[in-house]
Amino acid sequence: MFPRDRFRGLFYKYFLALFVAVATPLAFSAVIEGWFGYRDQRARLDQWLGLQSASAAAEIHDFIHGITTQLGWLVQLPWTEEPDERRRTDALRLLRQTPAIASLTLLDGNGLERLYISRIGLNRIESRADRSADPALVGARAARIWFSDVSYNRGSEPYLTVAMVGNRPAVGTVVAEVNLKLIWDVVSALKFGRTGYAFILDRSGRLIAHPDISLVLRGAEEATSKPFRAVRDAIGPTRGFATSRDAQGHYVAASAAPVQGPDWTVVVAQPLSEAYAPLYAALWRTAMLLAISSILAGILAYALADRMTEPIKLLEEGTERIGAGALDHRISIHTGDEFQRLADSFNRMASELELAQQHQERIAKLKRFLAPQVADLVDRAGDDSVLDGRRTDVVVVFCDLRGFTAFSAGATPDEVMSVLSEYYESLGTVVAKFEATLINFSGDGLMVLVNAPVPIEEPALRAIDLAVDMQKNVQALIAGWRSRGYHVGFGIGLASGPATVGRIGYKDRLDYTAIGSVVNLAARLCASAADKEILIDAKVAAGVKGKRPVEDLGGRKIKGFDEAIPIFGISFNSLSLAEAGRSPDG
Amino acid sequence: MAGVATWTTRSYAQKPSMPVIGYLCPESPELFASRLQAFHQGLGEAGFVEGRNVKIDFQWANGQYSRLPGLAAELVARNVDVLVAPGGAPVALAAKAASTTKPIVFEMGGDPVQLHVVDSLSRPGGNITGVSSLSVDVSPKRLEFMRDLMPTATKLMVVVNPTSPTAQSQLQKLHAAADTLGVRLEILGASKEAEFDSVFAAVAKDGASGLVFTSDPYFAFRSSQLAALAVKYRVPAITQTRDFPIAGGLMSYGGDFMQSHRRAGIYAGRILMGEKPSDLPVQLVTKVELVINLKAAKLLGHAFSSAFVAGADEVIE
Repeated sequence: MFPRDRFRGLFYKYFLALFVAVATPLAFSAVIEGWFGYRDQRARLDQWLGLQSASAAAEIHDFIHGITTQLGWLVQLPWTEEPDERRRTDALRLLRQTPAIASLTLLDGNGLERLYISRIGLNRIESRADRSADPALVGARAARIWFSDVSYNRGSEPYLTVAMVGNRPAVGTVVAEVNLKLIWDVVSALKFGRTGYAFILDRSGRLIAHPDISLVLRGAEEATSKPFRAVRDAIGPTRGFATSRDAQGHYVAASAAPVQGPDWTVVVAQPLSEAYAPLYAALWRTAMLLAISSILAGILAYALADRMTEPIKLLEEGTERIGAGALDHRISIHTGDEFQRLADSFNRMASELELAQQHQERIAKLKRFLAPQVADLVDRAGDDSVLDGRRTDVVVVFCDLRGFTAFSAGATPDEVMSVLSEYYESLGTVVAKFEATLINFSGDGLMVLVNAPVPIEEPALRAIDLAVDMQKNVQALIAGWRSRGYHVGFGIGLASGPATVGRIGYKDRLDYTAIGSVVNLAARLCASAADKEILIDAKVAAGVKGKRPVEDLGGRKIKGFDEAIPIFGISFNSLSLAEAGRSPDG
Repeated sequence: MAGVATWTTRSYAQKPSMPVIGYLCPESPELFASRLQAFHQGLGEAGFVEGRNVKIDFQWANGQYSRLPGLAAELVARNVDVLVAPGGAPVALAAKAASTTKPIVFEMGGDPVQLHVVDSLSRPGGNITGVSSLSVDVSPKRLEFMRDLMPTATKLMVVVNPTSPTAQSQLQKLHAAADTLGVRLEILGASKEAEFDSVFAAVAKDGASGLVFTSDPYFAFRSSQLAALAVKYRVPAITQTRDFPIAGGLMSYGGDFMQSHRRAGIYAGRILMGEKPSDLPVQLVTKVELVINLKAAKLLGHAFSSAFVAGADEVIE
């Protein structure tokens, strides 16, 4: 198997399924965690920024409240017609203690200016100018404490006018000019996180306080205040936190809180990158964990898929090899599971196939010299001990063609082979039919054994019938050959007697044969037999006496035998009779 | 942030040369020590320390204000990164005249718009911005304080430096204030140290008058001399700077020069970090302080009223 193939087959499917099974829940949980982390961080940020803006608003309120508290001391005692030296001292002291106040105006209960003290301009004492129409006085009388709109002194410094009346008209009113640049001390001290900051917008959205004083000094300009107003407007009246862009275009998270009294808005802003830094860190961690988990899932899936497909691959390989004929191949799987059982079952099948094949081979070998039925019998018996060497009575049948050598010398090889082919085809059929044992054939001659290795009842009779059948068949062939101009004859010799039978030869070339004088006798008889003649010895003749028409041919001198041997024959002509006579017997 | 990045890049690109501040000073290092310290403090708040990441090229006029234009031109020629012109309107005007492109940070007591140093406070325009200490604006207040101390005086004497760019406007305001306060003014001129003696001698001869100094750096930096003369001639006098009562003079009323010089230092630092002077509004100091010397008052036979003492930012006993 090549790795390329592995990604097309089961491995790929297993790998994908396992990986997805592990990675999907991980990714899912990471996304969930990220989403909840984002929401938590937003909620935390909202709470935190809300808290910061509220505390910033409180600080600013304290700044304003500190001033109004101080102003309260100046509106406690009623005015008399006399110049009030003590009140002047108080006012001077207040101016010294509260640097943000640029000037103070004290008005009596009738709205007349009694005292004006300034850091820059000349003081006025008892000017008695009628200030009853002053919006500061009107506003303070209506609401006790009145805050003006923010004004920009010379287009630059933000100033606020605060007016305050006492708890009864006779104590008059104090009007203070407050230099809002002094809020810088408060605002620049407000730090949120690492780079968070606060700024203040007045009710019309102009910048009146910012850690960068140069922005405040340009607060009257629309261009300066606009981006800050945009942040405030992005937060809107809901007072939750919002994301917006600061003057430099960087994203900020901002929250706002109102300052009661002058009706300002304090906005606290923190760069979004800093505000979300914990979230980004958490997301980064989650992403890293997800990546590591995915890699682990991949390795796990690879290992598991490999573990699952490796036995399948071995099985596939093994069955291929077994199928290709390597029956001795065994599939080696020791996983202890179904795969091992499957492999064992394949191995069993292979060993059975191997046995069957050996069986087949043995039969094939046996069939070379045994009739197929006999071979099957031997095979069924399970062992071939019947082929072991022993001494037994056998009938040996020899036959060959007469005048074949002369014919083969004159005929073409094709003709010779054609004749032999027909000849052996015919003889083979007969040998098989009579369940005789074919020992060997050479050229035109054939040796057949009856009663070995498988014992047969009345072997002589069986041999005679075999010989007769041979003669009949071959003579029929010879008649055909004669018409083609071939002049050959056919003779058979049979002899019966004890012989040593068994396998001879070596490992790859084993033959079954019979050894003994009976073999020689049969061969000599065959050699003596003329065309159409079947010569038998006395023992065979005795065996079939009364059953087949045997003709005594008298003693005959046979080569290799000292004395003349009594020979019998079965005439070819009687064969048809014998045939006719036997047929009714069945 | 962008400014820091720009500055950092530039500082690396030009290493080893550090940015250079051209410091144009009307006086000597000794007289200017406390101001210079405040300037360094401001510069440090903006992230710059002399010798570490900034160099300062000093030019001292040593009281010869006529040399200021030449010294300013020299600093411009040396191609300093920013020109700092502290110590009054003459310095600012000399620096402004020297270059229309070089960033300039001034520190002075007068009104920079009125003196045509800048177009407006919030939008200075051009290459110059800085800090104004309000000392010139409060000249009439000094007259008022002297009147408070000497309610019976019908005449007060005012010293003006005729060479000062703000002399005329201050005199105008003082005359208006004198009308309001119901006193006559006698104007004395002094533009050199040699003339101080005759000023005090003239007031001492008059006997029933106080001496009000107009805001002028030349006077401010010579506070100890003026204090010594005031003691010598037994003249009640008020100047713009706290140096005067500290040195034995009667009282002072003016802007906090520590604050103004510190802020000038911050602005110089911000310009070094890449901000443009036109984007930095002119700052006015928030603190105007009254410093009185009770010992001097006792010597002169003039007691400060309780309201006076209550309103003083610092009382020297």
